[in-house]
Amino acid sequence: MPLSNEQLKTLYANMVRARRFDEKIVQGIADGKTVSFFHSGLGEEAVGVGGCAFLRPDDFVWYHHRGHGIGHIIAKGGSPREFVAEHFGKATGACNGVAGFHFVDPEHGMLGFSGTIGSAFPVTLGWGVAAKMNNRGQAVVCFFGDGASNRGTLHEAMNMASVMKLPIAWVCENNLYAQFMPLRDAFASEDIANLAIPYGMPSQTVDGQDVVAVHEAVQWAVERARAGEGPSLVECKTYRFRAHSEGAPDVAHFELRPPEEVEEWKRRDPILLFRERLLGEEVATASELDGIDAEAAAEADEAERFAMESPPPDASILSELLYAR
Amino acid sequence: MRDIPYRIAMQEALAEEMARDEKVFVVGEDVQAGTFGVTSTLVQRFGPARVIDTPLSETAVAGTALGAAMAGYRPVADFMFADFIYIAGNEVLVNAAKWRFAHGGKVSLPLVFLAAMGGGARNGPEHSMSPESLIMHTPGLKLAVPSTPYDAKGLLKSAIRDNNPVVFFYHKRLLGLRGDVPEEEYTVPFGVADVKREGTDVTVVATALQVQHALRVADEVKDRVSVEVIDPRTLEPLDIDSIVRSVEKTGRLVVADEDTERCGVGAEIITQVIERAFDSLDAPPKRVCAANLPIPGGFIEASVLPQPASILAAIEAVTGRTLKA
Ligand SMILES: Cc1ncc(C[n+]2csc(CCOP(=O)(O)OP(=O)(O)O)c2C)c(N)n1
Ligand SMILES: [Mg+2]
Repeated sequence: MPLSNEQLKTLYANMVRARRFDEKIVQGIADGKTVSFFHSGLGEEAVGVGGCAFLRPDDFVWYHHRGHGIGHIIAKGGSPREFVAEHFGKATGACNGVAGFHFVDPEHGMLGFSGTIGSAFPVTLGWGVAAKMNNRGQAVVCFFGDGASNRGTLHEAMNMASVMKLPIAWVCENNLYAQFMPLRDAFASEDIANLAIPYGMPSQTVDGQDVVAVHEAVQWAVERARAGEGPSLVECKTYRFRAHSEGAPDVAHFELRPPEEVEEWKRRDPILLFRERLLGEEVATASELDGIDAEAAAEADEAERFAMESPPPDASILSELLYAR
Repeated sequence: MRDIPYRIAMQEALAEEMARDEKVFVVGEDVQAGTFGVTSTLVQRFGPARVIDTPLSETAVAGTALGAAMAGYRPVADFMFADFIYIAGNEVLVNAAKWRFAHGGKVSLPLVFLAAMGGGARNGPEHSMSPESLIMHTPGLKLAVPSTPYDAKGLLKSAIRDNNPVVFFYHKRLLGLRGDVPEEEYTVPFGVADVKREGTDVTVVATALQVQHALRVADEVKDRVSVEVIDPRTLEPLDIDSIVRSVEKTGRLVVADEDTERCGVGAEIITQVIERAFDSLDAPPKRVCAANLPIPGGFIEASVLPQPASILAAIEAVTGRTLKA
């Protein structure tokens, strides 16, 4: 089903919101407000926003760490205020300020996150087992990077998920680098999507700068999952505009990423591309989109104020958190 | 009371809990047949959807448990050999142990990791480990190490009902051990040590197979020295109070467990006793553990693993008496 104009505008708004919140955390590092490290996702907003758009609240999402998942979180219905507060180390953060940069929201199907890359695969396999047992047509969408695809856990989980026909959409955000490592030196095949072949899954490769293309591909995988047809793989070709993490050198191995490469991808900014398209197709007027932009900026300012006014957690909660009763 | 083997007592615990709570399921390699007989017969009663044979993929087995637990199930994942927990070290020690804490208490992980511990079967260095200290060292996990059929059944039922990740080590050399198990329903609580034999001259704290060794030695020397044998049953939580009380009575302490000596269970328990009851000790405490070597296969296995004679020698050392017949 083609997306309605309202839905298209939601996709636009969520990308702009994701960008404003991402910029807040980046700026927070310079201002001393962000307490941990940050892996900005500027340039990759279309993947999380498109991939999580219009899922069910009870679908499970493992977000990707680019932008610390802000695009995925917003699109899935999570609270960006709690996202900011967590990054500022506050008690009102998603993890009560204990994690520093993770997000959790069980009511919206975001059950948690891990700092060890490649953890996504076995855990979301388990979510898939649960979703299948629940038998309510739930889907699991697991986002991961090109670097994560180098982990052995991918093999174990993808193989078992296919054998068990679990309702999982595996979605790779291929931004061509894993920290400083270019994909060409880390992956022996041309496309991550080729990984679908040995596990007997279908796959699609899409332009990760095109939010509608991402949405349609992930929706295809989710519908297969809901119908009991098993897992699928979607590869989104994308690019990060900033360095791997704030303060890290922006390099391929030990030399700067090629400036022509960076420039070429920046011309393919997913928000600018989509704005032009919405205007060109007369889905929205410029003033409507400007209004969305202004709202997103105000929302991010408000979240920053909320986080700054919130207290840090009390260390006395820690021993209570370790074990459930 | 009936006299049944340890392995059957565990089978009963699994079957009873699966019948009691439809959220409980068993997953692992070859659990339908049951490599050690612990999970055997369950598939005939509960079907393959709740007794899941997986591919040879330890991270996927662990991840299935993690993910399904986060999503509301109570999985029991079997690793076969305790040595194989290292393969899923990230899933067990990093993810399962930390996730409730790291997510501000917003998710819980009610799951059991089962594994066969121990040597004595001449299975060689990679199938004979008793990694109790590894688990005990890791905040966020609980650890049960039963020594009798009664405890195996009661502790396993408690483990399944616990809202935290529990590592449950069953000892290979105890699987056929017979003992009294009531017909009626019961559980054994975590964190409550059991005095397996009362005595006044020396306290022997022992786990798993070493409890049986200690009881045998205590009986052999009963005319010359009165040995109290205490089984903590769970190492996290650890009932240190009962151990300290016993040492205050006897003034002498031996700790016998099958893990490697260095930084091991004995080191931890003795340190805690010294911190709490130094003045009660009439002699330096002694550890009885596996030597600081990998466990060899073949005939020389016994030269590395603790034997009843090692416990006897330790009792002689702390009491200053010669006890050999
Ligand atoms: C197991 C593990 N290895 C290494 C790291 C350090 N690390 C964090 S992100 C990253 C790169 C991941 O690359 P990719 O999966 O492509 O995601 P991207 O950052 O490019 O979005 C690395 C090496 C880690 N956190 N965990
Ligand atoms: Mg990458």
